Amino acid sequence: MIWRVLATLLAHYRRHPGQLAMLLLGLWVASALWSSVQAVNATAKDSYARANALFSAEVDQLTRRDGQSLTRDDYLTLRRAGLPVSPMLEGTLEIGEERLTLIGIDPLTLPNDNALGGNGDALTAFLTPPWQTQLAPETIDVLGLSRRQAPGATPTVDNNQRLPPLTLRPELPPNTLVMDIAAAAALLDSDNTLSQLVTAPGALTQPPDGYRLSRAATLASPEQLTDSFHLNLTALALLSLVVGLFIVQAALGLAMEQRLTTLRTLRALGVPAFTLTMAILLELLVFGLVGSALGLASGIWLAGQLLPDVATTLSSLYQADVQRSLVLPWHYWVGSLVITLGGLLLAGSGVLWRAARLEILALGQSQAWRLGYQRQLKRMTQGGAVVAVIAVGLALWLSRLPSGQGVLVSFGFVAALLLGSALCLPPLINGVLRLLQRLLHRRPLAHWAVADIQLQLPRLSLAMMALLIALATNLGVSSMVGGFRLTFLDWLDQRLAAPLYINASPSTLTPMLDWLDAQPDVDETLPTARGSVDLLAEKNARGKETTRERIALFGITPAPTITNRWPLLDTQTGRSAAWSALSARSVFINEQMAVAKQLAPGDVVTLETPQGAMPFEIAAVYPDYGNPRQQILMPTDVLVQRFGGDIASIGLVVNESADRQALRQALADNFDVSPDALVDQQEIKRLATQIFERTFTITRALNGLTLGVAALALFATLLAQARERQRQLASLWALGVPRKTLTQLPLYQLGGLVLLTGVMAIPLGIAITWTLVAIINVAAFGWRLPLYLFPWDIFITLLTALGVALAAAALPSIQLWRSSPQAMLNKGVV
Amino acid sequence: MSYYRLSAALIAISCLILTGCQETSPEAEPQGFAGLGENAAAFAEANAYTPLSFPQDHGPHPDYRIEWWYLTANLEDAQGEPLGLQWTLFRQALTPPDERPDPTPWATDQVWMAHLGISQGETHVAAERFARSHSQKASGQAGVKAVPFQAWIDDWILESPPDANFEDFTLSAYSGEGADRFGYELTLSAQGPLIWHGKNGFNAKTVDGQGSRYYSQPYLQITGRVTRNGEAREVSGKGWLDREWSSQLLAPEQTGWDWFSLHLTDGRKLMAYRLRGGGEEGGDYVFGHLLSADGQTELIGPDSVTLTPLETQVVAGRDIPTRWSLTLPDADMQLVVEARHPNRWMPTSVPYWEGDVVVRQAETQESIGVGYLEMTGY
Repeated sequence: MIWRVLATLLAHYRRHPGQLAMLLLGLWVASALWSSVQAVNATAKDSYARANALFSAEVDQLTRRDGQSLTRDDYLTLRRAGLPVSPMLEGTLEIGEERLTLIGIDPLTLPNDNALGGNGDALTAFLTPPWQTQLAPETIDVLGLSRRQAPGATPTVDNNQRLPPLTLRPELPPNTLVMDIAAAAALLDSDNTLSQLVTAPGALTQPPDGYRLSRAATLASPEQLTDSFHLNLTALALLSLVVGLFIVQAALGLAMEQRLTTLRTLRALGVPAFTLTMAILLELLVFGLVGSALGLASGIWLAGQLLPDVATTLSSLYQADVQRSLVLPWHYWVGSLVITLGGLLLAGSGVLWRAARLEILALGQSQAWRLGYQRQLKRMTQGGAVVAVIAVGLALWLSRLPSGQGVLVSFGFVAALLLGSALCLPPLINGVLRLLQRLLHRRPLAHWAVADIQLQLPRLSLAMMALLIALATNLGVSSMVGGFRLTFLDWLDQRLAAPLYINASPSTLTPMLDWLDAQPDVDETLPTARGSVDLLAEKNARGKETTRERIALFGITPAPTITNRWPLLDTQTGRSAAWSALSARSVFINEQMAVAKQLAPGDVVTLETPQGAMPFEIAAVYPDYGNPRQQILMPTDVLVQRFGGDIASIGLVVNESADRQALRQALADNFDVSPDALVDQQEIKRLATQIFERTFTITRALNGLTLGVAALALFATLLAQARERQRQLASLWALGVPRKTLTQLPLYQLGGLVLLTGVMAIPLGIAITWTLVAIINVAAFGWRLPLYLFPWDIFITLLTALGVALAAAALPSIQLWRSSPQAMLNKGVV
Repeated sequence: MSYYRLSAALIAISCLILTGCQETSPEAEPQGFAGLGENAAAFAEANAYTPLSFPQDHGPHPDYRIEWWYLTANLEDAQGEPLGLQWTLFRQALTPPDERPDPTPWATDQVWMAHLGISQGETHVAAERFARSHSQKASGQAGVKAVPFQAWIDDWILESPPDANFEDFTLSAYSGEGADRFGYELTLSAQGPLIWHGKNGFNAKTVDGQGSRYYSQPYLQITGRVTRNGEAREVSGKGWLDREWSSQLLAPEQTGWDWFSLHLTDGRKLMAYRLRGGGEEGGDYVFGHLLSADGQTELIGPDSVTLTPLETQVVAGRDIPTRWSLTLPDADMQLVVEARHPNRWMPTSVPYWEGDVVVRQAETQESIGVGYLEMTGY
């Protein structure tokens, strides 16, 4: 019997293919966005898992103090002195447009759990001709080979040499070739010279005489660093899933409404309520499977489109390599299906509930329904109040957490805020409508219009809630992105004080400094330096805490060119005092460190120096956007002389008449640097801005999509009741209301409703922006942004929502305009 | 270079070495010591027709696949506590002589591996080093020179003074830093001649005639200083230096060996081993050599030794025989050889058991010597 019932139920959609389309559209949109973001996350996780395997062994590095390149003799001397160093060669190979990193290693001495695997042929093959090129499967695309051809192939690179036979290693990061140092030396023509001497972290307590030891900076794994990024993506995807399910709910509700007669007939014919419910459940499952399949297919397509941007973002923000092709484990498929079906069942639960409790003899009475809706409104208000209490509780919890923590709690807070506001929306609208009704009782048509919209409210309320959520999120996210943009560009302007920068290896930069100082065109050289240090203790207002942690050091030259503009967030006694303190043995710390370690100007950090542990006072905190790590800042010369740091770049101030091109050429001629080692400040800004834009491409794309989905939900709801609306308007028309007025009426009604929702979304959006910049951002990235609001953007967003609403309302109006009075009256006969 | 790229290289190698071997079909690739039985057609083959020639033969033989300089010592500290130590330099040829790469700075055809072990009571510490070299390049991270004798890898070095004629040596090898540092600094001097095992120093290892070139200096008197847990102590005692090279040490069906080098209190030396598999009718191949105190007389030849495990213990998850019966019917000797402690596992890339033993009369349980036992392929 159940199949016959199901067939009867499904027959409805044959007569109303539009409803079927809407239902599937909702499911499709909901599941597509969700599954695409999950696909991106799953792929990134796979990349992290590979990278994590790498990070288990970081290395310390040795360089020569005299700035000369390392050679095999350095290696042999150090080994014969008993130091566990390992040689490494690194270079770039060009293959067409692409650049691949070539790494030559000596597996026998690499600081790792190393093993001479018996007579392992694999080791012999790696060490002896024709050697092996190990690479990740993704990398073979760059070489223009298929996966079948790749193993054993010996592709030619740009210098007309052949690579050793390829061996695929899925564990390797993309665009990296690894081979024996002998093979790499031949390809790079490096003879005796070396790029690196590496040792296991901490294997050397002191650098050997004549060498400088750079410790592996303590890096969090990319997974930890990018966690919050993926959480952001997931939150946005969840939002679109919810909004998509609103569409589904509207479509299901409509179909249910229109099939009530059929359902009652079926029940009257003796179909048990259980069978009927099961049939509807089956129907839901069928739709769910079709919708999920559609959603998965397009989700994967969408993920493919998003992934390159996500990968670029992650690599520019965190230097985390994410492959450009999707990796989808089984739990991805199951997860996406379960989420979509679960969401569908949730959305359809109302329908199932009604089918199960269907009263055979009840007649659809608008007034009775309205009374029922009053009870529903009351429940909504109560629910909203409960959620509001939860939101306040979460806010209290957040305020007690030390800053820089509680990403999940903050998202919980935002979710509670959104849900609470959404739940309170219908009662609020209802209250406003009642007030209007009282005010308008002398104007019958307006009075009717308000009463009519009150009647529509039960069906419209879900779409309005969806719109509220989407609008508020949209406002929140776009204010954050916009605010970040302003702050970031400002900050770049302040940080990049010198008009020219030279980037090269430390061994090239050090001798270059003297040469530059001797150039008549160069007014000022502003070297920066990098290094790292063991942080031994930190002392703040709450007490002293001992630790041992590797912290990155950054050195700048505190000349007026820099100090006049370098941004500072917090100082003890003003900017100029802070700068003189820096020159006199104080340090600055970045905001990330201040947040993570709860440090403020005036606190003290104890650092390990070659002379032993030494305390340094913190003179200021500076913003350091985009840096995932904690950092201590000190003058370049202190960093180089006392902490063994390396010159990282040189900022140049040249006089007005200087010929930059000539300087570029002279640099290239005198030192072993390419002409593009000299970079214009404008160029750096352009690059930084580009990275920034990419970072938020995804956010913007998802944000826009969410608003689109909400508009669709509204549109779908209005469409669903368009026919019924005509019927009611027909009565008005029959009463003598002019057709023009009748056509405009829905526009006013809906426009007013959307405007009301939009106005409510504004404070909500601001609250979300604040949570994003002041809490989530600090927790996720370690820096706080000033709260910026963009009235024009808010206005545009509202206008867009209004436009969508009016367009949706216009459709029934146009139908009305076109219908003949006769036809309308015919429909009006209930 | 970013740390990411560096780390990328590290994973490359760990996957190369840890999983690489399994990727080539595992059945065709016996692991560890059993791998020494692989076919070695293109390498030089050990034979009994060329007499050993010194001092050249103290140096490396890169045309052969495998070679070692192997020192074990039974020492005592000032309190009379026994202490065992081991230092070994292994050489392995990666390619047959005619397939060697050109000697560019990093090209390699030889891989060196060295092991350092110190045992006392229940403690046992070990370290391992690796290096590459090219047989056509004289100096490098590791190597061996015949005159003056020098065998080194990094700062571990066993060497003779210029005119010492392979009779006096110093050995220095340390690993770790600070409180974890261990190692030794020893002076070794030979109190007897070099012993050639087998005909012309050719030691057959299967009934089919495969084998190795093998000679020993079992009469070493040792003094020096051993450091453990950062604490140094004076030691003295007896040592045994083995030299062996071959291209096919084991027949393919042989799985490992049990090798004994014993210093008896009456001054005699006993070397005996059992190769598991490869004997007649699939049995074990057993060989022994009893030497007089002055090294002049070979007291017993091969076929008259039996070696039987009496007791096994679980060490590193494997059943290891730690008590043995060793009989030499021709010499009327019935001995029991027992490990001082089962914890002598060398957790090196090719793991094995190597440790100090006590020798007793089987009947009286009277202690009549000390020695070293090496067990591989378990």
